[in-house]
Amino acid sequence: MELKLENLTKRFRETAAVDGVSCALTEGVYGLLGVNGAGKTTLMRMLCTLLRPTSGAISWNGRDIFALDAEYRAILGYLPQDFGFYPEFSVDDYLGYVASIKGLRPAAARARSGELLRALGLEKYRGRKMRKLSGGMRRRVGIAQAMLNDPRILVLDEPTAGLDPGERIRFRNLISELAGERIVLLSTHIVSDVACIANQILLMKDGRILLRGAPEELTRALPEKVWRCQVGRAELERCLREYRVSNVRTTPGGAELRVLAPEQPLPGAVPEEATLEDVFLHYFGEKGDGEDAAL
Amino acid sequence: MLRYELKKVFGRAGGRIALAILAALLVGASILAVRSVPWVNEAGVEERGFAAIRRLRAAQREWAGPLDEAKLRAVIAENARIAATPEAQSEDWRVSNIAYGWRQGFEPIRELLNCAFAEGFRSFDACRADRLTPDDAPDFYPNRVRLLKDWLAEEGAELFSQPEKDFLIARYEALEAPMEYDYALGWTRLFRYLPTIQMIALLVLGYLVAGIFAGEFQQRADAVLFSSKLGRSRAVRAKVGAGIAIVTLVYWALVGLFTAIVLLCFGADGARCPVQASFEGWKCFYGITNLQKYGLIALGGYLGGLVILLAAMWVSAKARSTALAAMVPFALLFAPSLLLNLSSASVDKVVGLMPYALLDMDTTLSAFNYLYRLAGRVVPSAPLLFALYGALALALPPLLYRTYRRADLT
Repeated sequence: MELKLENLTKRFRETAAVDGVSCALTEGVYGLLGVNGAGKTTLMRMLCTLLRPTSGAISWNGRDIFALDAEYRAILGYLPQDFGFYPEFSVDDYLGYVASIKGLRPAAARARSGELLRALGLEKYRGRKMRKLSGGMRRRVGIAQAMLNDPRILVLDEPTAGLDPGERIRFRNLISELAGERIVLLSTHIVSDVACIANQILLMKDGRILLRGAPEELTRALPEKVWRCQVGRAELERCLREYRVSNVRTTPGGAELRVLAPEQPLPGAVPEEATLEDVFLHYFGEKGDGEDAAL
Repeated sequence: MLRYELKKVFGRAGGRIALAILAALLVGASILAVRSVPWVNEAGVEERGFAAIRRLRAAQREWAGPLDEAKLRAVIAENARIAATPEAQSEDWRVSNIAYGWRQGFEPIRELLNCAFAEGFRSFDACRADRLTPDDAPDFYPNRVRLLKDWLAEEGAELFSQPEKDFLIARYEALEAPMEYDYALGWTRLFRYLPTIQMIALLVLGYLVAGIFAGEFQQRADAVLFSSKLGRSRAVRAKVGAGIAIVTLVYWALVGLFTAIVLLCFGADGARCPVQASFEGWKCFYGITNLQKYGLIALGGYLGGLVILLAAMWVSAKARSTALAAMVPFALLFAPSLLLNLSSASVDKVVGLMPYALLDMDTTLSAFNYLYRLAGRVVPSAPLLFALYGALALALPPLLYRTYRRADLT
């Protein structure tokens, strides 16, 4: 089981949304991490045959996925970032429809829908109209539709967007349960979503895969050290300006900072173990401090 | 899959409202049709409704049979007798209405006499029959051809080429005399109201089918659709099928129900009479019966509507816009009205081949300017329209399928 990307490029006019990406994915959970605009969604759309690459190739077990056409899509499950639905359909109708376009026979579709709705805690909402579901419930229905055909490749684009913390935790657990013998590619800009469940992290920036490895490998390879230091209120602003700070915790006398620096930044700073969030901050810097900084 | 596609259309409040509009149209048109025919009773007072239709039908059926010289003489004589009565000559319309009531049985034949003995091909005198004598009866059929020939030689000389004139005269001469005549109010009511129903139905259907393809993009459901196993094959075929099924089922249900209501109220008598045996069809050069004309109107409306709506669906698939797609039927229906203002013979010929001509088949069948040259022969528009749009109706679904299945997300 191998999904291989070779020198994959997608250009929109002069802009390269995905720029020469090469990698091979085998069984496991992959976290595709990057800020908005890094090219994650474009890459995923190509993997789902929704966009044709400008150059390069994607192959499944050695065969081009666009040539495989329906044969490839039969083993694919996709939850798009912008998950659309038919507002007048009930959950049952929606899953019935998606099952039909996935080529499932009605009896098998009913059995599989029931199974997934039970697993996702949606069984009692199966008759409810899609438009009446909460954001979290809709996402769960989105997962269910992606899983209907028991896909070998499961592509989840920003699956936790709009979910509250509790739902995000439930979702992470669910993905771990569903992972099984398949390739799960999960894109997000929220580090904690993938830190615990991904076997491999792909760090994407400006259309390229910047770094790839297991979470512990990435943290080990971080070129900077992580420091915890205590600062007074007067120094706080200067520290925030001068250092890369991944966390600020207010204390009675000032603040406790988590700082990324090659050397001890302040007297009394003690070294800490790096996390994936620190890796993210190191590579994405200020960009990660913007609206995407939901670490 | 087809079931879900239909559910997407009719599950929306808009879909259900559209069906309610069509139901209201059916009821309204049926009431109008039934109320459109008056029966003037012995007191000269107009009555309308089912009883009026029953009386009128009974009175007019007494004159059914071949419209030969003997019958024409009898009508002229009876009309003259009534015209001579004090009631007919009265200045008081209430009193003269009593005389009209006596004529109701043969009024359709009297109208044909007005046409046959008019001053010219394009003139009409509603009282011409009152000035005829029974001895004029033998000129009834020859006059129809003579009036056409005179018109083509004078007023219409510049409007038609010689082959077109020969064609029209030959068609007029081919009319079998005597014509079979019968009460045919059921058919003439259908001819009058069906085109309006067809056009309104087309606009409503345009709204219904406009979202079948574009809706996936607007609801952002396209990604799941196109990344599914059958999302670019059977699912697209189901959409095309749903569009055709909606157009077909809704159209034929509406036309079928209206036809059934009208024929139940008015009766289906006169189905096999030539269309020329009624005032509305007197000038028609197509040798067809009322039943055949009905078939052409109903089928023409379906074919024209289907092609227009397939074009709307193609716009929906290509432009990914429901609003733009819903405008296609409006544009194709109202463009001919604008073009006809140009008063050009060549523009007329273009309009005669537009889908509008199929939807207004009643007018098309009586239009002299919709004549075309094909392989050296003069061909009227009706068969051309059916051939042209029949081919388009077959070609558009595969095109629609190919356009949509290739959709790449941007």
